[in-house]
This record gives sequence, structure tokens and C-alpha cells, in this order.
Amino acid sequence: MSELLKNIIRFILLILLQVFVLNKVMLHGFATPYLYLIFILLLPFGTPTWALMIYALLFGLCLDLFMNTPGMHAAACVVIAYLRPFVLNLLSPQGGFETVKKTPSVTSMGWTPFMTYAIILVVVHHIVYFSLEFFDLHNILLLLVRILLSALVSLVLIVLYEMLFAPSRR
Amino acid sequence: MRNLIIFIRRYFNFFLFLVILIFCLSLVLRRNDYQRTSFINSANSVSGYFFRKYNNIQYYFHLKKVNDSLASLNANLLNQLPVDFASPDTTSAVQTDTAGKRQYRYLPAEVINNSVNGLMNYITLYRGSDQGVETGMGVVGPQGIVGIVRRVSPHYAVVMSLLHKDMSISAKLLNTGNFGTVKWKPGSSGPFYGILKDIPKNVAVHRGDSVMTSGYSAIFPPGLLVGYIEKVNELSASNFYEISIRFATNFRSLQYVYVIENFKAKEQHDVESTLPHE
Repeated sequence: MSELLKNIIRFILLILLQVFVLNKVMLHGFATPYLYLIFILLLPFGTPTWALMIYALLFGLCLDLFMNTPGMHAAACVVIAYLRPFVLNLLSPQGGFETVKKTPSVTSMGWTPFMTYAIILVVVHHIVYFSLEFFDLHNILLLLVRILLSALVSLVLIVLYEMLFAPSRR
Repeated sequence: MRNLIIFIRRYFNFFLFLVILIFCLSLVLRRNDYQRTSFINSANSVSGYFFRKYNNIQYYFHLKKVNDSLASLNANLLNQLPVDFASPDTTSAVQTDTAGKRQYRYLPAEVINNSVNGLMNYITLYRGSDQGVETGMGVVGPQGIVGIVRRVSPHYAVVMSLLHKDMSISAKLLNTGNFGTVKWKPGSSGPFYGILKDIPKNVAVHRGDSVMTSGYSAIFPPGLLVGYIEKVNELSASNFYEISIRFATNFRSLQYVYVIENFKAKEQHDVESTLPHE
């Protein structure tokens, strides 16, 4: 299957999964998992930054359409799309990642770099999204608790996603 | 000039990032505008279609609860029929002529999307401007009040739920008539609790007392149930209580609600707006 088709399917399925399943989940009144941002994490290595940001914008706006959060998910997605190349650069070994595998994943990067990459972007995304949702700082403790717990749950789901769907090394 | 072009090309990604980010933030900041309709909301036909499909399935899991709440609402209404009130005096009866005096009308509506997990929760209804829904109308469920309509499209309406951090409604105590404001208390307690403020400390309040709408705002008629008092906090530095209340409405299982049309809302607003603002 071509990468383009794969990403289109992932785009649609992740939005439906997020809107109809994960948004209904709330653990202990604090943590809602946001798995959808794995779409941006898994875009191919070679995608130019401007294209990453346009995809992130479209993806975020589609989510906002369903969730009545105009601009919030879009802003958070665009921020991590912009940061993605920098983070990948920092983590890439000398000579870059194996280019045979075209997308970032556990198999193409290895567990430690991939998890560092995911943790940085998930935390940044959650900070941007929850700050926009709260929009004031007088409840900063609740804000931090929500960011940390939600990021934790989202990361667990990302690991599960990777274990299920990551291309196996041959 | 050439340097400028080189400069822009070099930092093209950064500028594009700024432009997109400013666009997103302007959407975020405009969300509180009452009049300007943002196109990013779930009162559009695409997401409305998906939510309706989803709701058709999910609906079956709540049938029992929906039936129970509708049956109890029916029983309430039946108990208010004139035949229930026998009078020993059959020679003279008071005729209540309500023609021309109706102030509120209730429009039934189906809930097709509902969120309780965020800080700003909205409810989407399958009933819009073509069926008489307008922004600013109150929404009440079988158990108690639910929210206020914020956006309408021809067939859908988006309701700002009581579970929204910017929502506050005017409420009063059923027993004493003192009024205050009710706001949702987000946090670990989930979608069940709110805070009633501005009740002075000389008023006797007890756990379990009913809190009703006050009817001052032209959105809700007076006497609709908001919730019950759960706990009374006496703040030492203030003359007012901070009362935590449990909402009457179970927001997790909303299926049918009623949109309240107030025929005299415009008249009330008009006469109130003639007062000079000092």
C-alpha cells in the first residue's frame, strides 16, 4: 500500500476513533487520552516542514469541527508539526535514520529515540492544547495535573499503537 | 530587495508557522463572540450527519434510562391536571383563561452529541432554526436544566452545557427565595457538582434543599430544578456561603431535552435596555 493511501486512511480512522471513542473516556475526572496526534508523528521522514504544517492544520480543523473547540486542536497540531523536524534532527544518529523505512516508528528509529521523540511532542501538544482550553492561570495546579496525566495516558496508547501496527523488521 | 527575498526564503517555514498559528489563535479568541458565527462548530451538516448516525446506534443502550425519566416526567405532568384537584364547592369554579397569556413554549429536541469530559462542554441537538430554535434560548431536560443555545444552523443547534467553565446562571433557594449564581465546579468530582454563590450567611440552608432557576434572566422560567444542596462551606472572611450543589440533570445520559422559547424575552430585553447605564 502506498504511503499516501495509508496516511489518508489513518487520517480518517484516527479522527473517528478520537471523536467517538477516546473523547468519551475520562480517567478519574482528569485524563483524556489524545491518540490522534500520532498521525503527525508518523508522517514520512521526507515531508517538508511547510507540508507538515498544512496537514496538521487540516487535521486539527477537522477535529475542531467535531469537538466545538475552534482552533485549539489545530494550534496544538501545528506547533508539534513545526517542532517535529528539529526533534528528529536532534535524535537522528550520524548519517540519519535508515531510509529504507520511510516513516518514523519503533523499528526504524529504535525504542529509546522513538519514545523520546513521542514524549517531547506529546508533552508540547498537551501543554499548548490545555493552556488554550483553560485560558487563565489561576487554576494552574489543575492545569498541570491534567497535562501530566493526559500525556501519560496518551503515551501509553501510542506505545500500544506502535506494538500493534509498527512494521516488523525483516 | 534581493536580501529580503533570501531572508524570507530562508525563514519561510517559520513565517508560515506564525501565519497558521495566528489564524488558529484568532479562531480560539473569537469563540466567545455571541453574534459572529464561527464556521468551526458542530452545528454543520457534515459532523451533524456523523453524530446522528452514531447516536442512532448508541441510543439503544440508554432506552431504559430514557423511558424511566420520561415516565417520571409524565407522572409529574399528570399530577398537575385540573381533574386532580377536587373542590367541595361545585357551584362556582375559577376559570383560568390562558389564551393570549402564554409566555413559554417547550420544543422537544433529540440530543445527538454530548460531551462531559472537557472544560467547555457542548451538546448538539437535532433541531435548528427551521424548527424555531434561536440563540439564547434555555434548554431543560427531564430532570433539570441543561444549558443555553449558543449556535444554530437550519437543522442543528449547539448548546453550551451547564458543564462549561464560562457558564453561570441565576438561581434561588426554593425554601427561602434568596438568589445567587450557580457555576460548574470542574475537577475531580466529574460532571455532577456546581457551586452556588452569593447566599448571605443569615439564611438558613440545609443539605438536600432544592435550588431552582430564579426566572430573572428571561432565559429560563422560574421554578425549574437546578440541583440539590450537597455541602455548605462557611468562608470565614466573607458574609456569604459557598454552597456546593449536586446537579439534578444527569449529563451522562441525556437523550431528549426541551428548548424553551420565551415569547416575552424581546420585550423584557427592550424595556431593560432603555435604562441608562451608569
